[in-house]
Amino acid sequence: MREITLSQAVNEALAEEMRRDPTTFIMGEDVAEAGTPFKVLSGLVEEFGTDRVIDTPIAEPGFMGMAVGAAMTGARPIVDLMFGDFIFLIMDQLCNQAAKTHYMSGGKLNVPLVLRTNLGATRRSAAQHSQSLQALVAHIPGLKVAMPSSAYEAKGLMKTAIRDNNPVVIFEDKLMYQDKAPVPEEEYLIPFGVANVKREGSDITLIATSSMVQVAEKAAEMLAAEGISAEVIDPRTIVPLDEEALLKSVRKTSRAIVIDEGHQSYGVTAEIASRLNEKAFYHLDAPVLRMGAMDVPVPFSPALEDITVPTPEGVAENARKLCAGEMIHAA
Amino acid sequence: MPHDVTMPQLGMAQDAGKIVSWLKAPGDPVAKGDALFEVETDKATMEVEAQADGFLTGVVAGEGEDVPVGSVIARISESADDDTPAAPAPTAEAAPADDLPEGKTVTMPQLGMAQDTGLLVSWQKAPGDAVAADDVLFEVETDKSTMEVPAGLDGFLAATLAQAGEEVPVGDPVAIISAAKPDAPVARSVAEAASAPAPAAAAPAPAKTVTAPKAPAPAPKPQVAVSSTDRILASPKARRLAAEQGLDLTRLAKAGHPQPYHVKDIEVLRALPSEAPTAAAAASARRLVAEVAEDGLPGFQRWMSEAHGVNDADAILAGLAGASLAAGATVAIERAGLTRSFATPAGRTLSGVAETEDAPDLILRDLRGSPLRSVEMGAGPEPVLTLTNSGAGLTITLECDPASLSPQAAIQLLTDFAGRVEQPLRHLL
Amino acid sequence: MSPAKKAKTNTEDYLRMYRQMVRIRSFEDNANQLYLSAKMPGLTHMYSGEEAVAVGICEALTDSDRITSTHRGHGHCVAKGAEFKEMFCELLGKEEGYCRGKGGSMHIADQSHGNLGANAIVGGSMGIATGSALRAKLQGSDDVTVCFFGDGATAQGLLYEVMNMAALWNLPVIYACENNGYSEYTKTEEIAAGSITARAEAFGIEAHQVDGQDVLAVNDLTQKLVARARKGEGPFFIELMTYRYHGHHVGDINREYYRSKAEEKDWKENRDPITRFRHFLVQEGIASEDEIEAINAEVEKDAADAVEYALAAKYPDVSEVDMHVFAD
Repeated sequence: MREITLSQAVNEALAEEMRRDPTTFIMGEDVAEAGTPFKVLSGLVEEFGTDRVIDTPIAEPGFMGMAVGAAMTGARPIVDLMFGDFIFLIMDQLCNQAAKTHYMSGGKLNVPLVLRTNLGATRRSAAQHSQSLQALVAHIPGLKVAMPSSAYEAKGLMKTAIRDNNPVVIFEDKLMYQDKAPVPEEEYLIPFGVANVKREGSDITLIATSSMVQVAEKAAEMLAAEGISAEVIDPRTIVPLDEEALLKSVRKTSRAIVIDEGHQSYGVTAEIASRLNEKAFYHLDAPVLRMGAMDVPVPFSPALEDITVPTPEGVAENARKLCAGEMIHAA
Repeated sequence: MPHDVTMPQLGMAQDAGKIVSWLKAPGDPVAKGDALFEVETDKATMEVEAQADGFLTGVVAGEGEDVPVGSVIARISESADDDTPAAPAPTAEAAPADDLPEGKTVTMPQLGMAQDTGLLVSWQKAPGDAVAADDVLFEVETDKSTMEVPAGLDGFLAATLAQAGEEVPVGDPVAIISAAKPDAPVARSVAEAASAPAPAAAAPAPAKTVTAPKAPAPAPKPQVAVSSTDRILASPKARRLAAEQGLDLTRLAKAGHPQPYHVKDIEVLRALPSEAPTAAAAASARRLVAEVAEDGLPGFQRWMSEAHGVNDADAILAGLAGASLAAGATVAIERAGLTRSFATPAGRTLSGVAETEDAPDLILRDLRGSPLRSVEMGAGPEPVLTLTNSGAGLTITLECDPASLSPQAAIQLLTDFAGRVEQPLRHLL
Repeated sequence: MSPAKKAKTNTEDYLRMYRQMVRIRSFEDNANQLYLSAKMPGLTHMYSGEEAVAVGICEALTDSDRITSTHRGHGHCVAKGAEFKEMFCELLGKEEGYCRGKGGSMHIADQSHGNLGANAIVGGSMGIATGSALRAKLQGSDDVTVCFFGDGATAQGLLYEVMNMAALWNLPVIYACENNGYSEYTKTEEIAAGSITARAEAFGIEAHQVDGQDVLAVNDLTQKLVARARKGEGPFFIELMTYRYHGHHVGDINREYYRSKAEEKDWKENRDPITRFRHFLVQEGIASEDEIEAINAEVEKDAADAVEYALAAKYPDVSEVDMHVFAD
């Protein structure tokens, strides 16, 4: 199978869906000729014109709000938010308007829009361009949240998101745009709420999102060499969450580590760990561990930044302890 | 139809309003939108407009009076001659209760915005007293202040249904006012009223939740003292497996095995020498032992796999054991620390054996391959068949509570099962 | 054309405008009574006094034109064609409400008449209205979107972001600023520096100020602007000078610290949009006093019936609580 980059995969998904559905359009800062700073959208404006690949002023709440209005009245806007950190700028439009409109209208109004944005530290971009804010969005009922872990997922999830009748936020890892993965030439969609078992194992389950899937896979490799069989699961969407798949794996292995690049406290890892604890308690042979980003603003210096995010070595070390029955965080 | 004039809910946290002045006199014609009376709340005075055309009649609240929000203070009638006093809003026809005098009930008024009950501070009239509509009947305390509640109509105080100091839910009856002087005025408390048939109270507004006064919190449950040294640290799964297999984790602790315990420690626990059964336990348990010269299971499993595509050794074992019981039993197979339960169908078809979550009727503990040769574990809630190696053959032990299997049934079960294990093909005949 | 001659040709329109204004007033009077008598959950914001704004504008629109509304939104909703029964049911949280009781007073949306919904965030719908206009332009549809907001909302930054884009792209949107003189409990001049219309003019948007108590003036202006917006000449901005008779919300009673009773009295007695228009209709011979009274009585009965219906209507089943979080 051919291999393409995550960036190309997103570009293909957008182009295919825009060809398929004339009500779709992209809006955001420097999305047209510039193709975004990450060049993910390069070439789209040539095919679809400036009416459907719309450069906006630097006014995130404004164009986000307009996307909500367009979505409510029959269009399928795809909003490009240059950095995930800018979600804070559009909170009212995303959380008070887009997320609640369907419910508040008693099901009469839909808001089918996609918010494309990114996450991920270690790009030396410091605290306002490095955050992974998926937990904030996942907390609000009415928003779906997809977290592709490779080019394959990025394409399949984007196509599903564009066809979904709800506001969907897709977080791409900005460090993975140039990572290649096998992506079929023929069309495919990845359904929301269906986890992917990336690697089967019997001793411990590593549940990981986005780029943390790679981290977990590397950890699993290291563990395999030591005779520990780790299962790696990628939920692919955290809302909806394929809880059954996670529970099934944990009931089998009796141990789990949840890894996500958002801050560890009150985060995605906490939510998933808590559900495992509630629903697989009597199958647990060890406490479920969370591994998120350190609870500090992302620092600039490489010497500091690199230690704030989970690493394969850290995941493997924790997995070893759990499998050995070591007391972790016990009084 | 006459239109009630009520004390409006004005401010966001307002309980009552004081009538500063009436801007129309009884009998005056009024038009919708006319200023009718002036109310003072908090610090300001405002005019309240008439909501209908007609004539002002039935004025029951005078100038200077504090009136609870929602109380009817007058009426706009089609005729100026209508001289019946307006009924207070929170009153309703009292249902003729057995022991209560007839009359109109006065209810605890809705005062604050988030108020469920009012504390009755004091009665200003005694049962039997004559009362006028604007006489203060009782005092109520809410979140912020104490206020006087007028009787609302002329008559006699026939019954008081709450005592000073009691909390009364909003809308619940507080008093009954009768037209005629009552023969036997009643005075009782809310607590007493609770056991008596209650007079019909005004229906609460649909959006309001009227909650009863809170019952005193139950006394805290005595804590069972647990010494920290008694607590065994074990994973939830290890605890569950131990419980399912009738194993006691405290034996591991007594043996000095280091905590916390995980699933792998269950194997250690199982391998501990069994404690001498107490006399009582020995007497109360049945233990039968059978020897078979040959383990027919491995060959049978191969045959089942090749000839019938049935690969699950546990399911086959469960089917053989289940067939030795009455039809349709659930058999749990325990092997290497794992437990799987199977529903075995009536008849002898092994392909119909299916995994289940149901509690087992019979446990089959497969210790072939372990160094154990003989077991004596005592009876659990279900009969337990244990397979252990014995040379080229097997030892099969049945342990059960006498209550679960009669001697005949136990002998039959073990004999039957031993035969099937030695020559499984017989099972299919 | 002389007003009299024009009036004769527009009799039906004028009587409908009058009726719509009376319907709003009647709806609000009943809603106020529901609050005062503690029959309505929550609280509400009365539109009384501003009727000519909603009616003048919405009578210039069709069902395919969209509006976005505000926390003071009952007037827009009625003017855009909503029914009393579904509105009162929504106010009381009943199953038959426009939003099945999930929105309430501040979130009534009436999709069938193009009302994209009231919004409880001040200025919260400016993006939605402008986005609706963007959609119209992209899809080559000739509908126009009117964004209602108050003078208080001109303090929100979102307005300037979306007016900028609307002007850049000539979107068919009309920003209708209902200047009722007060931003909650504060005089507008204390929260808004400079001119309100100049804010729009800074973006090159054609802006008008109009007497919001004169339904014909509002309607005439809106008709012209809507027609031009349909041709791609938008956006436009209208500042409608109006007045709210009640406080910021139904519980805002003691208002003398921010506005005088004399001022309220003056607006009610001398500038009431319904009284003024009624006077005009009678004077021009469009309707007799009796005919006007008949309309009033009919509307009042409609409202009373709808209130009675809504009070007796059933609440949504508890099973609906997690319905409509996501669309299928």
